[in-house]
Amino acid sequence: MKVGRVRDVAVLVLLAAYAGPFFWQLLTSFKPDAELLVLPPLLPSRLTLEHYRVVLEQSLIPRALVNSLGVAALTTLLALALGVLAAYALARLPVPGKGLLLLVVIAGTAFPHIATVSPLYLLMRALGLRDTWTALVLANTSFALPLIIWLLAGFIREIPEELEQAAFLDGASRLQTFRWVLLPLVAPGLASAALLTFLFSWNEFLFAYTFTATEASRTVPVALALFPGVFEVPWGDIAAASILASLPPVLIVVGLQRYLVRGLLAGALRE
Amino acid sequence: MTPRQRADRRAGLVFLAPALLTLAVLTLYPGAWVIWLSLQQRIPVFGIERFVGPSHYLFLATDPRFWNAAWVTLAFTAISVGLELVLGLALALALRGQRWGRRLALSLLLLAWALPSVVTAKLFEWLYHPGAGLVNFLLGGRPLNWLGDPALALPGLILADVWRTMPFVALLCYARLLTIPVEVYEAAQVDGAGRLASFARITLPLLRQIVLIALLFRTLDALRAFDIMFVLTGGGPAGTTETLTVYAYRSLFQTLQLGFGSAIGAAVFALVMLTAWGYLQMLRREGLAE
Amino acid sequence: MTTAGEPGRRCSRAIGGALLPALLVALTACADQPAGRGDVTLVFKHAKILGPSDPLPRLLREFEAANPGIRVVSESLPWSADEQHQFYVVNLEGGNPGFDVMMLDVIWVPEFARAGWLLDLTPMVAKDELAPHFPAAIAAATPDGRIWAIPWIMNVGMLYYRADLLARYGLEPPRTYQELVSHVARIRAGEHDPRLDGFLWQGKQYEGLVVNVLEGLWANGTRLLGEDGAVFPDPERAAEVLAFLRMLIETGVSPSWVTAADEELTRRPFGNGRAIFLRSWPYAMGLFELPDSPVRGKVGIAPLPRHARGSQGMGATGGAHVGIQRHTRHPDAALALARFLTGEHAQKAMTSGVALNPTRMNLYHDPELVRGHPNLPRIHELAMAARPRPVTPYYLMLSTTLQPELSAVLVGVKTPAQAMAHARRRLEYMLAGILDGPR
Repeated sequence: MKVGRVRDVAVLVLLAAYAGPFFWQLLTSFKPDAELLVLPPLLPSRLTLEHYRVVLEQSLIPRALVNSLGVAALTTLLALALGVLAAYALARLPVPGKGLLLLVVIAGTAFPHIATVSPLYLLMRALGLRDTWTALVLANTSFALPLIIWLLAGFIREIPEELEQAAFLDGASRLQTFRWVLLPLVAPGLASAALLTFLFSWNEFLFAYTFTATEASRTVPVALALFPGVFEVPWGDIAAASILASLPPVLIVVGLQRYLVRGLLAGALRE
Repeated sequence: MTPRQRADRRAGLVFLAPALLTLAVLTLYPGAWVIWLSLQQRIPVFGIERFVGPSHYLFLATDPRFWNAAWVTLAFTAISVGLELVLGLALALALRGQRWGRRLALSLLLLAWALPSVVTAKLFEWLYHPGAGLVNFLLGGRPLNWLGDPALALPGLILADVWRTMPFVALLCYARLLTIPVEVYEAAQVDGAGRLASFARITLPLLRQIVLIALLFRTLDALRAFDIMFVLTGGGPAGTTETLTVYAYRSLFQTLQLGFGSAIGAAVFALVMLTAWGYLQMLRREGLAE
Repeated sequence: MTTAGEPGRRCSRAIGGALLPALLVALTACADQPAGRGDVTLVFKHAKILGPSDPLPRLLREFEAANPGIRVVSESLPWSADEQHQFYVVNLEGGNPGFDVMMLDVIWVPEFARAGWLLDLTPMVAKDELAPHFPAAIAAATPDGRIWAIPWIMNVGMLYYRADLLARYGLEPPRTYQELVSHVARIRAGEHDPRLDGFLWQGKQYEGLVVNVLEGLWANGTRLLGEDGAVFPDPERAAEVLAFLRMLIETGVSPSWVTAADEELTRRPFGNGRAIFLRSWPYAMGLFELPDSPVRGKVGIAPLPRHARGSQGMGATGGAHVGIQRHTRHPDAALALARFLTGEHAQKAMTSGVALNPTRMNLYHDPELVRGHPNLPRIHELAMAARPRPVTPYYLMLSTTLQPELSAVLVGVKTPAQAMAHARRRLEYMLAGILDGPR
């Protein structure tokens, strides 16, 4: 038992080292400017909040955080609403051409964004949606939807049909059955799908970089990529901005791990 | 067909319609449109819009930059995915025996995966700093110019990407390993099998399916990868980290040539879809795909 | 004769009589308020001005005071030139940009003019109104003969050198690049300082690299575009220039990090006394002459050297112009602001405050300014001998296509001949069928 414990601790130390780059960035975000470009020493003589102050007061990051939050939340809501209905239809209902539709959905998960970015750019321009949340929500939904449909269809199939049959015998319609019987049962799956969608939308870069132009709609990854530097690169400020940009993902990984893992595995472990 | 079935069919179409419509407009239609765009010379800034047929494809066929980008893409994909698989498997095995602190272990592992790729790029840009970067410090203080040296940029990029995506592979393998009952190993031990033999004869074959699926996901992702190379190196120095996606993006939005850039995008599209199709065929033969 | 309506008419006349004056009083009262109706608000987009102080806010308030009824809202652009360009393109292309007056890099003017985003100033601005400005600046503002922008800030590429080091070894500023290389060798041999760099220049893969290479081509008696629009009309001379740049890095005359260096990354080491020669723009001089600068009083400026086969070295011109957005709702007010900013008073204020070089040539001999910035007459000479980058709407396309090829030569991934062949093939394909081609 004791050997086991030592071994477990060793693995944890190994994993902590693996996450080292993140912790190094965290440390950098608290290192004073004067000590940044000199190595050794590794550890700073004192910690400073100056970088966070600069980022929160003088940069576009706070606004970008709001944009990211809004876009991710709306994407999640939209993709889930559309996705759960479609998943139910594909899992339970005799839809004509189901096999083909499933194939289309799966193909959708493999779509390279670089291929659709130019037509979508023209589309957004034509609709006057450039530099708006709407454009990003639509673009993000387009690539989240296939994944959600596939995931949720799998979750729904795992739920025994008997419960729904019972509801039919009681005279319920499809929609009612869906709303009152199935939805509560697939809720954990929905949570997983929601987390994954939120995470993907938060991290999305290509569409956000292309469709946004000002802080009106710039999301955090774009703001971070375009972080300004007057004379030299402000590594400390960038580190602080990076940490702020990582907060929701880190919170999800640490706090909502169970749902996240479930979602990740569900996509892969199903036959 | 019973009235019930008819009602069900109607309901099914109604439930599907919104999602299908969204996909059709935002994914399928653009998928077709990009092909059409690739047959045009289209420069919106100057109002140029004319049909040129397969002219872009013919140019790309003999374009050194295109083939360099294809080579970089394939090298990046092959090496990254290979490293992820080996390391992910090793880590999964290490985690399998974890009894204490499992949740903490998974949190530390998944941290790298959950970060936005732009954050990872900035992280590694700082780590690779010639003077103040941790990497050079750990290597004994040698002033290696990771992102500026044509020989080091691609390895540096691959390292960053493997760091970011290996946890996903590790998680998949780990979850699968958990489903292998202990009794199987105990039985093998009774039969006198050593650690290595039980690994090779029991673990690996049972992992085969999940490894193939991980391979599929990761290969497709690596072929489509854009964020990390765009932000970390911008495709430089001198195109040594310029993948097809970066080449396409630069043509599209730096020189504002939507037609030419779309041709490169369409090439990526074809590459990814072909690879996906090939993998699915292979998985189907293994009896795995739906 | 009174009718039934008479009392009514009398009533309405009384009301009208009372209302009208009331209305007039109300209207005049409104007009007296500073932010009332009838005011014009102009939005002016500009890049952040580098330097110790920013003269723009004060100048804009002066303009407002002199033009009651016009308010100017100044908004700054993103930091890097690439981002600024992207910002403009994205906003101007979609129509409805929220700005009226814009600060434009000189190389964008032909592109924006061709795209139809700039107001054609030819009917409103006479040709001789532009005469006081540098010819190169005028050329950049008047592609195809019409006036699309007004020159504002001038830049010219030049050679900075450590006058103290050169004097110590009895050396004159180099006239040829061969001399420059031998000067570097001589000084380094004498100084025994391994950290003293020889020649710093901008070799990062961006517009600055194209500028450096263009200057090299001109110094060797050739150009980028021939008369018929052909790229690299004299490949031999062009290859010599590229090979020379690569040689600088290979032999250590320039440190290897110049391949990732831009203006600021090269200015700092030179300003800290760690290099002998620097190719840069005039702005750096102001920073070298700051009170706490390690190289204060030790820096000289000279024209860029020439190559063996050229007749003289010359710098590239750059800078900024003021343009007006085509669909602005207040063209007259916008033009007034543009004229004010590019007028003598404003240009003088900007020169004395921030050491930004004006486009008005007479200011270079203004006694007050010269007292504060003794290098002005010299810069005037250099600017007169300088040449603008190709003035074509497709310059950006040219530049972004060339950048990776040139960078490949600098890092040794391609030979000059390969890079030029690839660049030519690419550019010919890109520009094929675009009606007038490059100039």
